[in-house]
Amino acid sequence: MRWFLIDRFTEFVSKQYAVAVRSISLSEEAVDEYVPGIPAYPSSLIVEGMAQTGGILCSQISDFEQRMVLAKIMKLKMNAEAVPGDLLTLRAELQTHTADGAVIRGVVHRGDFVLAEMQLMFAILDDDRFQNIQLFEPAGFCRMLRVLKLFNVGVKEDGTPIKIPEFMLEAEQAELSVG
Amino acid sequence: MPSNEEVFEKVREALMDALGVDDDEVTPEATLVGDLGAESIDFLDIIFKVEKAFDIKIEREELFPEDVLSNAEYVQDGRVTEAGLAVLKERMPFADLTKFEENPIVQDFGNLLTVQDLCNYVSTKVA
Amino acid sequence: MRFTQLDRIHALEKGEFIEARRCLALSEGYLADHFPRFPIMPGVLMLEALYQASMWLVRVSDDFENSYVGLRETRSMKFKGFVQPGDSLDVRCKIQSRKDTLTTLQVAGSIGDEKAVVGRMVLESYNLEERGLVDNYLHTYTISQYKKMFRLLCDQMNPDNPSKLAMSNS
Repeated sequence: MRWFLIDRFTEFVSKQYAVAVRSISLSEEAVDEYVPGIPAYPSSLIVEGMAQTGGILCSQISDFEQRMVLAKIMKLKMNAEAVPGDLLTLRAELQTHTADGAVIRGVVHRGDFVLAEMQLMFAILDDDRFQNIQLFEPAGFCRMLRVLKLFNVGVKEDGTPIKIPEFMLEAEQAELSVG
Repeated sequence: MPSNEEVFEKVREALMDALGVDDDEVTPEATLVGDLGAESIDFLDIIFKVEKAFDIKIEREELFPEDVLSNAEYVQDGRVTEAGLAVLKERMPFADLTKFEENPIVQDFGNLLTVQDLCNYVSTKVA
Repeated sequence: MRFTQLDRIHALEKGEFIEARRCLALSEGYLADHFPRFPIMPGVLMLEALYQASMWLVRVSDDFENSYVGLRETRSMKFKGFVQPGDSLDVRCKIQSRKDTLTTLQVAGSIGDEKAVVGRMVLESYNLEERGLVDNYLHTYTISQYKKMFRLLCDQMNPDNPSKLAMSNS
């Protein structure tokens, strides 16, 4: 399976909040056969959807320069499972952001119903062990952000659009070269 | 201004929540790192929860003056010097440093803070 | 089976604890995205492994009478280490308390002697047919499939494997 647990962003305000949608389908490997005879979407993947929504919200603050990983699920309450045909709305709100990491509060809705609530903490990888470790290829990461429509809906706090960082544009250009 | 009991109860709740420990483990004497198992990442959580519980702002450098320990002026052969201890005492009036003073090994500094120290710190903030 | 996050169940004591293992291989598709330059097991899959181990413990403890055993809550789930391809995550879940439909567990995963994840979780279990959510066929089918999956997860070449617990009354 691939690891894109949201389909696209619908709202994104830098340093404040992000909203993404995710539709659940019976054709997904993780849905069919997860509970035999009763298709359901694993709750852990809902958490991952929120971790991606919130993680991008947090790492955008540094123009995606900081390497951030999910460090703690501070709280998680699941009120029901998601099932095929559901359209989930994931909303992540930034609660705190420091030199060590960030905390978001996440709420997942199915229509008006609150399916899940959680609080996630992300850590910035900055100690010596991670000195030479990169998580993403900048061009590939940028392409994912484009696919997720981040730059179509994303705005800064003052309402102006979030621009693609220069280092990503350069990496994309380098990747386009056929040689 | 909240009483000492009120401060302790709220701090206890934050620590139970952040560290997944039981209420009987969170005693005033318990050290955050050694006894309750707090790690670097937990302090972000603890500080966040305590800030919310008391509606205060906590600067990590106030609670853990790590800059003193990375200052060559105050450290010699892995131990905090007399001058360093004096600075720590001044910067951390809320902490009981008597035990640390007996054998001020830099590495042990991280395990210094007790639940009571954290309560004392919070009390200075809400006052 | 496609989303099983456990490879083998080593030990299980009804109402008490379970021990299981998850091995990570670079061939797993999602590692290409998580992350392209640093493949590591996503934290939520460690969470899923802990939930699945807890689920088996609850199902077996109740003699597989409930068709539904779902995740309701987690508390302070901390990711302390990375699981890289070639690593095995040893999972141990212990029942802390049970009240009505809810079971609270202490859960942890380790690589060797190093803890990689620790936390607590609450599972809810009930009979989907009794609640009118599925008919008798699906309720019975689900339980029979879980029994078969449990047998697969236990080492069938070991005569003392815990799958006897599932098959004893079927």
